[in-house]
Amino acid sequence: MIHFDNVTKMYPNQSRAALESVSLDVEKGEFVFLVGPSGSGKSTFLRLVLKEERPTDGRIHVAGKDLARLTNWKVPHLRRRIGCVFQDFRLLPSKNVYQNIAFALEVIGKPRRFIRKVVPEVIDLVGLEGKRDRMPDELSGGEQQRVAMARAFVNRPMILLADEPTGNIDPATSIGIMKVLDRINRTGTTVVMATHDAAIVDSMRKRVIELEYGKVVRDQSRGVYGQAY
Amino acid sequence: MRAQFVFHEVWIGLRRNLTMTIALIVVVAISLSLLGTGLLFVKQVDNTRTYWQGRVQLSIYLCTSTSVSPQCTKNGPATPAEIAQLDTDLKQLPEVVSIRYESQAQAYQRFKQEFSQDQSFVSTVGKGDIPNSFQVKLKNTEADFPIVAETVDGRPGVDQIVDDSSILDKFYKLLNGARNAVLVIAIILIIAAVLLVANTIRLSAFNRRRETGIMRLVGASNFYVQLPFLVEGVIAGLFGWLVSAGLLIAVKTLWLDTLQQYFPFNVQLSATDLIEVIILAMIIGVLLCGATSFLTLRRYLRV
Repeated sequence: MIHFDNVTKMYPNQSRAALESVSLDVEKGEFVFLVGPSGSGKSTFLRLVLKEERPTDGRIHVAGKDLARLTNWKVPHLRRRIGCVFQDFRLLPSKNVYQNIAFALEVIGKPRRFIRKVVPEVIDLVGLEGKRDRMPDELSGGEQQRVAMARAFVNRPMILLADEPTGNIDPATSIGIMKVLDRINRTGTTVVMATHDAAIVDSMRKRVIELEYGKVVRDQSRGVYGQAY
Repeated sequence: MRAQFVFHEVWIGLRRNLTMTIALIVVVAISLSLLGTGLLFVKQVDNTRTYWQGRVQLSIYLCTSTSVSPQCTKNGPATPAEIAQLDTDLKQLPEVVSIRYESQAQAYQRFKQEFSQDQSFVSTVGKGDIPNSFQVKLKNTEADFPIVAETVDGRPGVDQIVDDSSILDKFYKLLNGARNAVLVIAIILIIAAVLLVANTIRLSAFNRRRETGIMRLVGASNFYVQLPFLVEGVIAGLFGWLVSAGLLIAVKTLWLDTLQQYFPFNVQLSATDLIEVIILAMIIGVLLCGATSFLTLRRYLRV
């Protein structure tokens, strides 16, 4: 599903590579944690998958497509197959829960009947029954992140990228968020989650890829956050 | 669905920076009206020019009993024999297309008719004040005028030879100058309008960066991301055009049409002329705003 072949990413005016010769494979339906200290290259990895950045060297394949050969006007089609969740939720403050989720479908031109059908389904999936008319500022952090996850998942993407989704949320609420991510993963969606949260990584026992200074230092199935050899 | 979504976004965009939108509409309106006025001017000048082109191009005024030029006082008024001689001589010139003799009575009649709207002026001119004349139409006014003038100038009975086009040239120079001034101001304002459109769209893009960020993230096509901004620019352009259409109608009815009173013949622009100019203004306005917002966005909303 995601295939990195010897990928190096240098940002301009920086001496050290953000990613250095990274080669890895994420299979369809996998759940992967991307761990490592700040600046280790987790976000760069996610941005490369979205083709928000271009690698300096190496090849990237996402959902069977060679990103280097993907023309600019086809990038939106790639992104329709990838859902994204962020630490800061990125909801539209002027739209309620339903409208925020529907927005993702409206802007890719889905018919209204389809939107009316799938948005309530996904609201149920993330556990926000009865809150469809709330505005984002009336919701807790955890609930806002559920809205963001609903928006990322409503178009049934093949891949869900989550960049520290529990970073702004207390540990108790985080468990709920992880449950939703797990539920999404069980539908066959590949989930890649960058995180700092050791407790979550340890409790899930999923594949863990650890980055340090832009290099993969550990890739372990059913791993934990810390060094556990 | 799509249309409704786009127009909702456009409405939000226009409302959010209302002051800029109003400024944009005003500048578009003024620049389009000035441009349109310039174009109406061009048409007006053409109208009068076409009228004159079918008219007399050279007048040979003959001596009358009231003429005061030294030549006429020496020879006295033109005799019928002199007039007949002039007529045959002029007809023989290859440069002459046609000649028409106008007696004093005919000239007075025509004068009264042409200035019928201004009776007080008519009453100051007596029947014998207007000399009889030959109205000569030339093949080519500029080149042929000296040749014809040479043949008749200084003959007994000939008072003055007047090249009508030389009088008209001054008039046209004045009109052309006015038209050029209007067009230059219009072009400067159009440049201002382009910059304002660019600025308004930039502001709008900044205001909605959250929305556009999410749109790009969930895979909205570039066209879909840009469309609301594009439509926003075009709608502002259309509003500006509507205002300018009103102004142009006013310019025509309140100003250009009043020129009629200074002309003895019909120089009034037709409604078709006005509609042509208004439609042209719309095309220019819409293209201008659309193209500017499109080009501005290409720089700000890259994938």
